[in-house]
Amino acid sequence: MKTFIAAFLIWTLASPRDNCLSAWPTHTACKSGNLEVLYQSCDPSQDFGFSFDQCSKEIKPNLSIKFGLILREDIKELFLDVALFVKGVSFLNFSYPICEEDLPKFSFCGRRKGEQIYYAGPVNNPGFEVPEGEYQALLELYDEKRFVLACANATIIRS
Amino acid sequence: MAPTSLAGILITAMAFLSCLRPESWDPCVQVVPNITYQCMDQALNRIPDNIPTSAKILDLSFNPLKHLSRRSFSNFSELQVLDLSRCEIKIIEDDAYQGLHNLCVLILTGNPIQSLALGAFSGLSSLQKLVAVEINLEYLEDFPIGHLKTLKELNVAHNSIKSLKLPDYFASLHNLEHLDLSNNQIQNIHHKDLKVLHQVPLLKLSVDLSLNPIEIIEPGAFREIKLHELTMRSNFNSKDVMKTCIQGLAGLKTDRLVLGEYKNERNVEKFDKFVLEGLCNLTIEEFHVAHFDYFSENTIDSFNCLANVSAISLVSLNLDDPSYFLNNFRGQQLKLVNCRSNVFPQLRHLPLKKFVYTENKGVSTFQNIELPNLEFLDLSNNGLSFKQCCSHIHLGTNKLMHLDMSFNDVINIGKNFLGLEKLEYLDFQHSTLKGINQFSVFLPLKNLYYLDISYTHTHVDFYGIFSGLISLQVLKMAGNSFQDNNLPNIFTELANLTFLDLSKCQLQQISLKAFNSTPRLQLLNMSHNNFMLLDTLPYKLLYSLQVLDYSFNHIVASKGQELQHLPNIVSLNLTRNEFACSCEHQSFLQWVKDQQQLFVEVENMLCTTPLYMQGMPLLSFRNTTCGMSKTAIGVSVFMVLMVSVVVFLIYKFYFHLMLLAGCKKYHRGGSTYDAFVIYSSQDEDWVRNELVKNLEEGVPRFQLCLHYRDFIPGVAIAANIIQEGFHKSRKVIVVVSRHFIQSRWCIFEYEIAQTWQFLSSRAGIIFIILQKIEKSLLRQQVELYRLLNRNTYLEWEDNALGRHIFWRRLKKALLDGKPWNPEETEDSENNHQEATTSN
Repeated sequence: MKTFIAAFLIWTLASPRDNCLSAWPTHTACKSGNLEVLYQSCDPSQDFGFSFDQCSKEIKPNLSIKFGLILREDIKELFLDVALFVKGVSFLNFSYPICEEDLPKFSFCGRRKGEQIYYAGPVNNPGFEVPEGEYQALLELYDEKRFVLACANATIIRS
Repeated sequence: MAPTSLAGILITAMAFLSCLRPESWDPCVQVVPNITYQCMDQALNRIPDNIPTSAKILDLSFNPLKHLSRRSFSNFSELQVLDLSRCEIKIIEDDAYQGLHNLCVLILTGNPIQSLALGAFSGLSSLQKLVAVEINLEYLEDFPIGHLKTLKELNVAHNSIKSLKLPDYFASLHNLEHLDLSNNQIQNIHHKDLKVLHQVPLLKLSVDLSLNPIEIIEPGAFREIKLHELTMRSNFNSKDVMKTCIQGLAGLKTDRLVLGEYKNERNVEKFDKFVLEGLCNLTIEEFHVAHFDYFSENTIDSFNCLANVSAISLVSLNLDDPSYFLNNFRGQQLKLVNCRSNVFPQLRHLPLKKFVYTENKGVSTFQNIELPNLEFLDLSNNGLSFKQCCSHIHLGTNKLMHLDMSFNDVINIGKNFLGLEKLEYLDFQHSTLKGINQFSVFLPLKNLYYLDISYTHTHVDFYGIFSGLISLQVLKMAGNSFQDNNLPNIFTELANLTFLDLSKCQLQQISLKAFNSTPRLQLLNMSHNNFMLLDTLPYKLLYSLQVLDYSFNHIVASKGQELQHLPNIVSLNLTRNEFACSCEHQSFLQWVKDQQQLFVEVENMLCTTPLYMQGMPLLSFRNTTCGMSKTAIGVSVFMVLMVSVVVFLIYKFYFHLMLLAGCKKYHRGGSTYDAFVIYSSQDEDWVRNELVKNLEEGVPRFQLCLHYRDFIPGVAIAANIIQEGFHKSRKVIVVVSRHFIQSRWCIFEYEIAQTWQFLSSRAGIIFIILQKIEKSLLRQQVELYRLLNRNTYLEWEDNALGRHIFWRRLKKALLDGKPWNPEETEDSENNHQEATTSN
């Protein structure tokens, strides 16, 4: 009995804290007849909200999006990396600067850790038609110190 | 269970726990020992008590502390920075921060504060920066900070403040430099709101009012007020409101006025040249305009009354051709960033000292400018092409010190910077340079200390490329290429060089003298090249070299000289190479282990070969295995040698050993002779020279019975044969030859031998065939023929190997059946006899 209790105590005290968060839920950013966009936060510290106003296979230029997030680091400068994949093979990568240090374009630039940012407005995208198929996208927002503020795995299904 | 035993178990468990978690500051992370502690997002609901009192920086953000009671931080008297962002704090009691005499920065962002005691911030006698963003603050009057006389920065952005009324306590905040009131609910600004600034001018104060929905600024509100900076972006809902509000700013003196909008916030639709005419009543030193969507050409004409401001920057505006305005500008600094225009502005005879023209779209070709006072020119990120570059003719100045032409299109270097000898800083990165290999383009630039030609598609094949750069300290030339992928001796005049970046240059070799003339080099980046070995010999004269980066190469090991040529190195990066962790390179691997502290991310230096070590850290290589395998190989070779020597010796001295061991003790028993030899006299030569010599003089020594020597004279031959030959011999050797068969005596002797053998059961007969005999001849002796067909016989071969085998077999046959003593001899021979007969 004594041995059993000792073993149990040691086991409970020594076992690591339950750090492994279950993955964030998958959200639907857009769903219509032939286009469905799903995303899931890949930042272990938080989930975030995202949607866009128009949901059809023909993506219009300057799409309006909504995006809300609580900052976990100051953002003097902010960058967005997007990587697109088909069946695990990367076919398009681009990096886009969002916030410059001097007279930034967007009002959320320069905000500090702990602040909530909310963006509702257009993105500077060209118009195009989504070809049929299933695509994966990895989006990452990071600051000048390469601290990741938001990260999302998205799936785009065009039927 | 007895309480004592339970206590014992607990103590054991605690001891075990303390071994597992030596960090007593758990769950926080110690960033800098005794100074910086990071406890962000650890679900703490109270302030941890295991942080050392010496801590200076404490991050408690994203923990549900909820309530700050009296003297919550009294343990941390050394604290300088305290981050309490998003701690769900609703109540801050009196004296909550009492004891924090050294605190400089307090961050309260994102706390839904409902109750803030009047004495909440008491005791913060050194506080310089207070960030109170998103804390539900409605009135600045209610914010109990009047006693914080050291305060330099107050950030109350993103609250619900409705009035710019600066409370009287601002009169005592003499050090205040930044007041951020952006993103509040301020609509009206009245004269009385800024009364305190009339009474006690805060000359260093910068105020940010951006994102407030301002509708009215009472005229005269800012009269006689001097601010360091005023920022108003996205404040107005219409151009009329904007116009009257800007008129309301009349009388303001400021070093810097920032007007503009944000792309994602409220925007003024339509713009005309009257909107900004109120600016003529302000005294402005620097004027910045950012992101007006509907800004137009004729608006800029209203800037004419700003012709005397010293600096203007225009960011993200649509300016088709701002030349008219710009050519009336009398200031010294001009910045045009991210503007859409069709032509490069024509700039002639302006007193500009600094001109920044970056990230502009729509312009493709650079036009010559004429700015005689220009010292600083930044033309980066425009995608411009330069047909001719660069001399004072193109830039119209002799005073230029800083020239940035990076991130453009093609730049043709046709002139060698004639008239631009004062240049100190030159940046061409990511533009395509043409003509740089034709002649020494940098020859006159004796003052240049910084040169960046990274990623300029330069293929260096001209050794005089850097001639004349005697003051150069920093040279960046990553992403270019060299003839034969060999770094030639091109730095001969760069005696002052301290920083050199040669990454991504596809380099495979370095010429031995490449660095002989750069004794001051401190940092060298050789990463992302194609080096196979770490060769430090070319660096033998670089006594100042401190940082060497060889990451992302294909380095297998070093060339063996290691550190002897890098005496002052402090950082060596060899990560992401292809190390061979084999015994062949054990001296290199041992060197890495011994000098670990020099290496960047030494644990990330991974092996590529051999296969079983692939992906394992180089540090995990054990060179004891090398020693072991050497010993193993040595021992096994020695063993094999020994065994073969022993086997050889045993073979060679088989008979000696047998005699020594006594296992076949040589004993003639009752017989005088070992063998009686029957042979033809024709073969006597062979018998004398070979048989007698080998058997009577070798080991073991046999005694043969030979008729010419051992027969007793005077006795009949037949009697001698029987008496001396058969009777006294153990065995009979029959030397069969043609002569033997033809000799009557021989046949006689042989037949007697057979008979004798049969009768006395004594000796075995050993046949030696001396020479090949025709079968017909042999058939004459039917008995002999039959016997030879049935029995094993020895055949004489006249060659070295054949002889050797012959004598060994014969000796063995003679030793055969030779037991210990006479009694046994008898028995065994009887048995043998029986066996033969049964055959």
